[in-house]
Amino acid sequence: MSEPLLDVSGLSLAFGGLKAVTDFSLKLHKGELQALIGPNGAGKTTIFNLLTGVYRPQQGEVRLGGRLLNGLPTHKIAASGMARTFQNIRLFGDLTVLDNVRIACHLRARAGLFSALLRTPAHVAEEAAIREKAMALLEVFSLADRHAELSRNLPYGDQRRLEIARALGTEPKVLLLDEPAAGMNPQEKVALSELITLVRHRFGVTVLLIEHDMALVMKICERITVIDHGVTIASGSPLEVQGNPAVIEAYLGAPSAEGH
Amino acid sequence: MGYLRAVSPFLGAIVLAFVMQFGVAPMFGAYYQKLLIDIGINIVLAVSLNLVNGFAGQFSIGHAAFMAVGGYAAGAITYYGSFHVFGDALVHHGQGDVLFLAATLVGGCVAAVAGWVVGLPSLRLKGDYLAIVTLGFGEIVRVLLQLTDDVMFKRADIEAASVGTLALALGGALGFGGLPFYTSIVWTYFFAFTLLVIAVRLKTSGEGRAFLSVRENEIAASAMGIDTTRYKVRAFVLAAFFAGIAGSLFAHEIGTTLNPRELGFQKSFDIVIMVVLGGMGSISGAVLAAIVLTLLPEFLREAASYRMIIYALLLISMMILRPQGLFGVREVWELYRRPKVSRPQVRPPGSLP
Amino acid sequence: MAKLLQTLFDGVAVGSLYALIALGYTMVYGILQFINFAHSDIFMTGAWIAFVIAKAAGWAGGDTPIWASLVTLLGSMIFCGLLGFVIERLAYRPLRGAPRLNVLITAIGVSLFLENTGQLEVLFGTQPQRMPTLLSSEPLFRIGGVGLPLVDVVVVLVAVGLMLLLQWLVFSTRLGRAMRAVSFSIPVASLMGVNVDRVVSFTFVVGSALAAAAGFLYAMKYPGLNQPAHSTWILLGLKCFVAAVVGGIGNVRGAMLGGLLIGCVEMFGAAYLSTSLRDVYVFSILILVLLFKPTGLLGKATVEKV
Ligand SMILES: Nc1ncnc2c1ncn2[C@@H]1O[C@H](COP(=O)(O)OP(=O)(O)O)[C@@H](O)[C@H]1O
Ligand SMILES: [Mg+2]
Repeated sequence: MSEPLLDVSGLSLAFGGLKAVTDFSLKLHKGELQALIGPNGAGKTTIFNLLTGVYRPQQGEVRLGGRLLNGLPTHKIAASGMARTFQNIRLFGDLTVLDNVRIACHLRARAGLFSALLRTPAHVAEEAAIREKAMALLEVFSLADRHAELSRNLPYGDQRRLEIARALGTEPKVLLLDEPAAGMNPQEKVALSELITLVRHRFGVTVLLIEHDMALVMKICERITVIDHGVTIASGSPLEVQGNPAVIEAYLGAPSAEGH
Repeated sequence: MGYLRAVSPFLGAIVLAFVMQFGVAPMFGAYYQKLLIDIGINIVLAVSLNLVNGFAGQFSIGHAAFMAVGGYAAGAITYYGSFHVFGDALVHHGQGDVLFLAATLVGGCVAAVAGWVVGLPSLRLKGDYLAIVTLGFGEIVRVLLQLTDDVMFKRADIEAASVGTLALALGGALGFGGLPFYTSIVWTYFFAFTLLVIAVRLKTSGEGRAFLSVRENEIAASAMGIDTTRYKVRAFVLAAFFAGIAGSLFAHEIGTTLNPRELGFQKSFDIVIMVVLGGMGSISGAVLAAIVLTLLPEFLREAASYRMIIYALLLISMMILRPQGLFGVREVWELYRRPKVSRPQVRPPGSLP
Repeated sequence: MAKLLQTLFDGVAVGSLYALIALGYTMVYGILQFINFAHSDIFMTGAWIAFVIAKAAGWAGGDTPIWASLVTLLGSMIFCGLLGFVIERLAYRPLRGAPRLNVLITAIGVSLFLENTGQLEVLFGTQPQRMPTLLSSEPLFRIGGVGLPLVDVVVVLVAVGLMLLLQWLVFSTRLGRAMRAVSFSIPVASLMGVNVDRVVSFTFVVGSALAAAAGFLYAMKYPGLNQPAHSTWILLGLKCFVAAVVGGIGNVRGAMLGGLLIGCVEMFGAAYLSTSLRDVYVFSILILVLLFKPTGLLGKATVEKV
């Protein structure tokens, strides 16, 4: 197989005495869709935080397209092609839906502060292009007709989808989705899983997904990694993982796995 | 064509400034003309602080310190510069105005450097901690200015003195008296309108939205590739620059004395109040609040010793009754197209449907 | 040597006053996360009420009985405790959960209100006054050639006594436990059956009473009282807030440590370097401490969960 796009090896982090993530490794090839599952508090979100530089890994390496990302600040990691959504939604609440996406698009913009203040033709053209790109993204997520609303006024499911649209605005190579279906009803979940598949092909992104809904994960993912107490307990195709006794135990041991 | 569009609002600012001087001001007496200048200066202060507090969401309560830095720098240049050029510190229109303009811009730059120096290390701090550091910085500036030497007023002494000596002869606790009165309505509103053009263009551009994203959610902003520290520092520097300009306008205004005590934390509070009353991030709100809060004490003058009590009560009730400020985060021109608001349906994450 | 001791005594005396006031800032901040800018005005009011009581009773001079001081102290503490209660009720409670800047501005409003109301002729007036001497400033005893006046001893003893009382209150009583619960998290505390409103009221009453005590002691030590709206009061308040921040805001012991540290830094700087730079020392310490330990000396770092 070719070089993995995202290559994580030996990632570890402890909060004081709590080992949140221990020796986590993962290879994500271009175009793949993998899932990260595990009971509540297993350390999944912490892994995303480590990948995106919100927390600094105490051990291990993160490479994206061969480039070492460890220790880079979050915004540089975003610039190198990693985007994410947040489990506890973090939209720019007092800004419009359109502005949320436009801010993400700003990452690929070139005109700087002075051209903005002078409204140079280059700046004007770029603003128009960004608006167009953002509207096109909103169109994909059926949010275009709500573009002028403040994002905090959106219904919950729309907020989750806006988070994905916003992440795509940064033109990522790898997209990290943290429980995008949390709190959705079954129909919404089905629609979302279709949307994820569509986005993946349309934008050519590689996706790492945290999700609790096993049915959803089984249906759309190629590979699943299961973690519990920060430790990887299984990894493989959906079928392999499903039958793994350690996984069953982890889930039976934590019947509240439907939570967050 | 494109370039015309680029500069026309700035030309408009100049035209409007002249309209203010020759169209609007003659309708009023000298007293109200001075008020008009006060309003203009307060607009510059409120709109510039709004870049930090309202746009970038950083909690600065030391804005008057940047005003002091800029005012003293500019004042020293016009005052001692005038002695070198004209032999006295009187107003010499024409050449003197050029000196004043140059001094004001230098004052702005010195304040901007101060903004950078304060901003860079202290932006590691969040919220109230940043606030208290900006306030502490302001107090340090005030005390240091109070320790400067007496102003020199003999031409021979001044011409003999080194730049370093002059830079320390700023009047100390008594204030920097004797500055020429260059601040006119034209100058004031030229800077005010220019700042307004800049603020509006910023708010409606990608760069400006980057400031806003820092205010809204720092973690999400950096995950979207926004270098939050850089934007915070930019906001600080830009705001300090205009505070410095306002300081220069204040320093060269008739009927004011550049005095460290005038530019202490109370002045900083006044500016913060304008920003919050106008609605965080709303440029037009800041303008309106600057106008209202400059005029209000004048209207309350009748009430004599009750004046500040009434002002305080108004402030408290305003915060309780209209916490989002006059227009909230929006602009006057956005009020009519109120975005249709669907019922917020925020479920706590993880709760089952 | 004598100078060193003298400076140390002064630093400790002033530092314990700062600590008393810092406690009020830190308790309110610990519970509601806001800088109560009006706290310095409570302190000012405390000093002036003490003046009014002593004046009305006609106490002055060296032969004043010791209970006169006690009555003045308690009167001032009770008055300011009530004042704190009323202020929280009318001005701050309606803003619970509002954006921080709003609360801050309300606090500035309250501060302006107290200062300017205090300046009314029917109250304290616009002139500085001289606090009658209730405690002798004759040296009580001498250590290493330095006289220690009764005032300083009383200042330190009362301040330390009140701090111990507060320590006991916060860490060993039911109410104190409720306070700590509320400062941990208001929603959690109220779910646990804590009456949050009562705890907040109580916090304001206690903090204000402590500030009043500091006001009284301040007036004893520095009898020249500035008029209510004079900026020295706010500046003093700011220094005490700085003390609270330097010690680690929200932390009772931190406030005490910070108060003493700031008091000593100020006094030593003034004695050995330059008097006119004393405010600069205080604010420089603040900036230094925050840059190296952003949560203050005894504050615990918290990482935002993402
Ligand atoms: N900033 C933090 N400080 C301390 N502990 C944390 C922090 N973030 C996460 N944790 C702990 O790490 C563990 C893993 O959390 P998380 O990654 O959020 O789990 P999940 O798998 O549900 O996403 C939990 O026990 C959580 O309490
Ligand atoms: Mg999680």
